[in-house]
Amino acid sequence: MPKHYRPPGKKKEGNAAKYITRTKAVHYLQVNLSTFRRLCILKGVFPRDPKKKVEGNHKTYYHMKDIMFLAHEQLLEKFRGIRAYERKVKKAKAKKNRELAQRLLSRKPSYTLDHLIKERYPKFIDALRDLDDCLTMVHLFAALPAVESEKIQVKRIHNCRRLSHEWQAYISRTHSLRKTFISVKGIYYQAEVEGQKITWLTPHALQQVLTDDVDFNVMLTFLEFYETLLGFVNFQLYHSIKVKYPPVLDPRLEALAAELYALTRYVSSNSGTQSSETQIASSNGPEQIEAGKVNTKSDESDLRLAQLQHQLPSNEPGALMHLIEDAAAEDDDDKDTKECKTLFKNLKFFFSREVPRESLLFIIPAFGGAVSWEGDGSPFNESDEGITHQIVDRPTQGHMFLSREYVQPQWVFDCVNARIILPTEGYLVGRVPPPHLSPFVDNEAEGYIPEYAETIKRLQAAARKEVLPMPGADGENLDDPRSLLAEGIIDRTQAIEAAEKKKQMSILEKQYHDELEMELKGIPYSASISNKNSQNSAEDAEPKEEAIVDADQIENDARNLSKSVMSREKRKLYEAMQIGKDRKKAKVNLLKERKKKAKEGNKHK
Amino acid sequence: MKVKVANIGKRRSKELKKSKKSSSPEEEEATPRSIEPSSFSSSEDEIAPRNTIGDVPLEWYADEEHIGYDIAGKKIKKQPRKDRLDTYLAGVDDSKNWRKIYDEYNDEEVELTKSESKIIRRLLKGKTPHADFDPYAPYVDWFTWEDKKFPLSNAPEPKRRFIPSKWEHKKVVQYIRAIRKGLIKFDQPKEESGPYLLWGDSSSTDKDRIGLSYIPAPKPKIAGHEESYNPSVEYIPTQEEINSYQLMFEEDRPKFIPKRFESLRSVPAYEKALKEGFERCLDLYLCPRTRKKRINIDPESLKPKLPSRKDLKPYPIICYLDYKGHTGPVVSISVSVTGQWIASGSKDGTVRIWEVETGRCLRVWEVDEAVQHVSWNPVPELPILAVCVGQDLLLLNTGLGNAEEQSRMTELLNVKESPPVDDSGLNTSIVRWSQHEKHEGIRLKHTKSVSKVEWHRKGDYFTTVVPDTRAILIHQLSKKLTQNPFKKLHGLPVSAVFHPTRSIFFIATKKNVRVYDLLKQKLIKKLEAGVREISSIAIHPAGDNVIVGSREGKICWFDMDLSSQPYKILNCHPKDVTNVAFHRSYPLFASSSEDCSAYVFHGMVYSDLNQNPLIVPLEILRGHSSTKSGG
Repeated sequence: MPKHYRPPGKKKEGNAAKYITRTKAVHYLQVNLSTFRRLCILKGVFPRDPKKKVEGNHKTYYHMKDIMFLAHEQLLEKFRGIRAYERKVKKAKAKKNRELAQRLLSRKPSYTLDHLIKERYPKFIDALRDLDDCLTMVHLFAALPAVESEKIQVKRIHNCRRLSHEWQAYISRTHSLRKTFISVKGIYYQAEVEGQKITWLTPHALQQVLTDDVDFNVMLTFLEFYETLLGFVNFQLYHSIKVKYPPVLDPRLEALAAELYALTRYVSSNSGTQSSETQIASSNGPEQIEAGKVNTKSDESDLRLAQLQHQLPSNEPGALMHLIEDAAAEDDDDKDTKECKTLFKNLKFFFSREVPRESLLFIIPAFGGAVSWEGDGSPFNESDEGITHQIVDRPTQGHMFLSREYVQPQWVFDCVNARIILPTEGYLVGRVPPPHLSPFVDNEAEGYIPEYAETIKRLQAAARKEVLPMPGADGENLDDPRSLLAEGIIDRTQAIEAAEKKKQMSILEKQYHDELEMELKGIPYSASISNKNSQNSAEDAEPKEEAIVDADQIENDARNLSKSVMSREKRKLYEAMQIGKDRKKAKVNLLKERKKKAKEGNKHK
Repeated sequence: MKVKVANIGKRRSKELKKSKKSSSPEEEEATPRSIEPSSFSSSEDEIAPRNTIGDVPLEWYADEEHIGYDIAGKKIKKQPRKDRLDTYLAGVDDSKNWRKIYDEYNDEEVELTKSESKIIRRLLKGKTPHADFDPYAPYVDWFTWEDKKFPLSNAPEPKRRFIPSKWEHKKVVQYIRAIRKGLIKFDQPKEESGPYLLWGDSSSTDKDRIGLSYIPAPKPKIAGHEESYNPSVEYIPTQEEINSYQLMFEEDRPKFIPKRFESLRSVPAYEKALKEGFERCLDLYLCPRTRKKRINIDPESLKPKLPSRKDLKPYPIICYLDYKGHTGPVVSISVSVTGQWIASGSKDGTVRIWEVETGRCLRVWEVDEAVQHVSWNPVPELPILAVCVGQDLLLLNTGLGNAEEQSRMTELLNVKESPPVDDSGLNTSIVRWSQHEKHEGIRLKHTKSVSKVEWHRKGDYFTTVVPDTRAILIHQLSKKLTQNPFKKLHGLPVSAVFHPTRSIFFIATKKNVRVYDLLKQKLIKKLEAGVREISSIAIHPAGDNVIVGSREGKICWFDMDLSSQPYKILNCHPKDVTNVAFHRSYPLFASSSEDCSAYVFHGMVYSDLNQNPLIVPLEILRGHSSTKSGG
C-alpha cells in the first residue's frame, strides 16, 4: 500500500487537498511557467508552507485557494489573448505580408494593472505599508542605463526617474523625510507618510554595474507592477495636497536635468493652500521672477538644444526638487514635521558641482533650506551674499567667501539625523569627517554606543538646554544606582567579596579542624604550628585564585537554580534566547576590543 | 572642383551670418564680395590655394601665426592683419579699396574685377548671374506630329471622363453611412491611461482584501553602522580578521565587509546593487511565507516564580566541616538515627565512623575490598552498621551506646554460630551467615557482589540487592534468616527500600519502580519514571512521596496518591545522579551527582491532599572529586 493511500471514491482531505505543488498548479492553470511567474508576481501570490508536505519536502507549495484566485484573474485571459495575437503577427511576417504585420502590430492588445492594485491594496494605507520595495526598485531602475538587449527600454527608465522625482518632491514638500543615511550600497531615506514609516534605498548617482547573473524578466515584471503602484500612490498623495497630477514641468529645467527642482516649483505654485502661503510666496517671489526672466531670454535654439539633451538619458540628479516651498503651516502638522520643517530654515545652501546634487536637492528643501547649485537654471549664483553654507567635496577650495562655511556633504546628513545644526568644524573642506552613523540603529538595544553618537547626544541635549553628565563621569559613577552597568559591577564585586569571606571562614575552619586532628593524634601544639605555617602559606596563595573562580560559579549557580524547575519547552526557549544574547554580547565585545586596539595604535603613533 | 565650390558656399554663408552681427555698414557691404574670385577664374588650376590645412574650422588656427605648411614642411606665415585704422585710411586713400576683400582662408587680399562685382550685384537682386541668360525662353516642342501617318490615339475622349462616377458616389455614401453609424472607426492616437484617484477620498468605505489572508513580506534588513561609507574605526575588521573569514564555512562568512572611504566623492557604485535587488525579488515571489510569532519577552520572565530562598531556611549553605581520613573516594555515607554519628564507606577499603559535630574519626574498619554501601540500623538502641563489601554484607557492631545496649548487640550479632544447620533450606545457595573473623559482627556471604543494603524501620529486617543475579534478598537479623521473595524480577534491580511507616516495599529497577505490599504479598503500583536508567531512590519520611534519581541527571518526584507518573521532573545535573536523599525532619531533599555537585531542594509536602507539593531548588553544593550522599 502506498504511503498516503486513499481509497477510491474518497476525496482528498487535509493538506493534500489544500496545497498544490507548483508544477501541478502550472498544469492546472494551463499556462507556461513564465506566465505563471508573471501572474504570481503581479497578483502577489506567494508559496505557503503546509504543515505536512504531502508531495515531498523539496517542493514549492501553493495554497489551492491562491491558485483558484489566479484562475479567475482576468489577466490570465488577456495574456492568452496576447499570446495568440503575437502568433498572428508572426504568421503574417512569415508570409511576408508586411502590411498586415504592421497593422497588427499597431493595434496590439494591452492590459492594465489598476484593478490588481485595488485588489491587493484595498486601502491606501495598505499600499503605503508595502511601498518600501517598490521605491527601492524604482529608484534602482532610475539609475540604470537602458539596455536594449535586456529589454530595459529608455521609456521605462525615464518613467522610473519621473516617478521617483515625483515621490521625492512630495516628501520634500510635505517635510515628511525623517532619516537619511549614506551607506556603501547607496543612500537610505526614511519618510513618514500618514503614520507609516517608509524606508528606501537609492543607489549612488554613478554608472551602475550590470551583472549577467540577474534575470531581468523577473525584475521587469516586478517593476511593471511597482511603476503602476507608485503612479497611483503619487496621484493620491498629490491629490491630498491639492496639486494636479501628473505635473507639467518647465521644459527648460527638465532639460537641464533639474526635474526635481522644476517639480518642486510646480507643486509649490499649484498647491491649493495659497492663502496661507502668502508668506512663502513673498519670500519666493524674487526667485521666481528671476527664473521667468531667464526663461524669456532663452532663445529658440537653446530650447532645442535642451530638448535634445533631454532625450539623452541624463545621469544628473533630479530637477524636481524645488517644489518644496514650505507648505502652509497647517495646524495638523505634528511636532515632528514642524521640527523637520524648521531645521534648515533661514539657511541658504550652494552645491559645488562634485556634490551629489540630486540627493541634497531632495534633503535640504525637505528640512526647510534654500538651495542652489553650480550650473544652468540654478536659482541663485555662487556669489550670492545670503549663502550660509557651501557644500563642497574636494580636497581644497580655492576661492573662499568669508561669509559662508564650506562643509562636506556628510554634514547635511548628520544634521538631519541629529535634528540639530551640528558644528561644522569636523566637516570642513579637506578634513576627514567624523564617522557617519546609521540613524536606524537603536544603540541602547544593541548594547554598544559609538563615540560619535555620544557626542551628538550631548550636542542635542545642549541644544535643548539640558545638562548631561560629562562623558568621563560615567565611568567613575559606579555607585550610581541608575546605571545598569554599574549595578552589574556592584553585583559582581559583592559576590566576589562574599566568596572571599567564605573562603577565609573555611580556611579558619580548616585550621581549627587540623589542629583538632593533631590534638587527637597527640602532637603538641607548639610543634604543629611551625609545621602548619609553612603549609598554610602554600595553601593561601591557591585559594585566592580560586576565590574568583568560585564567585563566578556561585553567580552561575544562582542563575541556573531555577532552570532546573522549568519545563523542557521553556528551558529550551530560555537556552535559545541565551545563545542569542551571548552572540550579541560577543559582537559588542569585539567592537570594544577593536576600539581599544585602534586607540592604542593611535597612541603609539 | 565641386567640393571646392561647396566649401566656398559654406564659408560664404558663415560670413554672411557673422556680418549680420557686426553693425558697421562698411563690412556689411563687403560681405557679398567674399566669394573667392580665384574659384571662378580660369587660372585657378595653376594656382594652388595658399592654405594647406584642408577643410577644418579656421578658428583652430586663430591663435597660431601660420596657416598650414607648405610642401617643404615650412610654416606658411600669416600676413599681419590690418587694424581698423589702417583699413579706414586705405578706404580714404584709395577709392577702389572697396573692391578689395580679405580671404580669410588663404589669408590674402583679393581685388574683385568689374565683371565679378557685376555678377555679385545681379545675384543680390535675385537675377541670374549672367545677363545674357534668358530664363523665360519660349518652349520648343521637339516632337513632330506633321509627318506621322497615324495619330497616337484616335479615340474620342469618353464621356465618363467628364462626369462623376456613380459607383464611387455609392461607395462614398456607404462609407459616410458606416462612419455615421460608427461602424468604421478611425485609428485614434492611443490614449495612455494615466493614474487616477484609485482609492477615493475616504478610505472607510473600502472593502477588505479578498482571497487568503495576506502575509506581508518581512522588510529587508536595514543598514547598521557598519554599512556606512565612513564607519567608525571599530566596525572595520582588521586584515587578520578578513583573512580568517576565508577559513570560515561559506554560509557563516559575513557577506558584507565594512570599508572606510575618506570622502563621499570616493565612494564607488555598489557592484551588487542589481544583484541584491534581484535577490529581493526572488525572495518576494519564491519564498514560502508563514506567520511566525516572534517572542519578545525577557528571558528571565520564563523562569518560574519561586518563593524567596530566605523564607525556606534552614538549609545547608556552606561547607562546615571536612571529614578527612579516607584515602580513596567515599562511595556511601549514612547518618545514625541519633544524628551523632556518621558512617562512611570508601573505595579504599575502609569504613569509618565519625562524630558529626567534631569531625573526629571514632573507628576504622579495614575491609579489604571497596565498600559499596553503608547503612545504619534505624533503631537507636541497636547501633549496627550494615556494609556492602564485594560479595559480602557485613553487620558491624559499632561499639556505641551504653553497656546494656552493647550486650544486646553482641548477643544479637553472636547468636549465629550454626549457620550451615539453619540455612540448609532454600537459601543456602544464596547466602551464608557466618561470624566475621576480624571484626566483631556477622558476615553474609552472597554468591555475587552486593550493591545496596537498606534496613526496615524496626531494625530487624534488612534487604540487600544483588544486581548480577537479579535478586532482592530480605534478611531477618534476629532469626538469621534469608528469603528471596521475588522469584522473577522485570529488569535489573537497582535499589530496594522499605516504606518508613507501613509494610510496603519499593524495588527500583532500571526502568521503573515497583511497589509491593509485604503483608498481602502483592504488587500495589508501578511507578513509571520515563527516564533511561534509574540510579537511586529515596522515600519521603511521611511515605507518600518518592524521589528517583536517574543516570541522565534527572530527578523525578512521585506523588504516590496522585499518579504513577512523576509529578515533576527536575533536570539539573549534567551528569549521572548517584544518590538522592530526603532530610528526616526538614522539608528538604538533595541529590548528588558525578559532576561533583549536590543540589539541595526544598520539598514541602502538605497534609492537605489537594495541595501539590512545593519544590524549590535552594542551593548547589560543590564538593570535590568524589561522590557522597547525605540526608
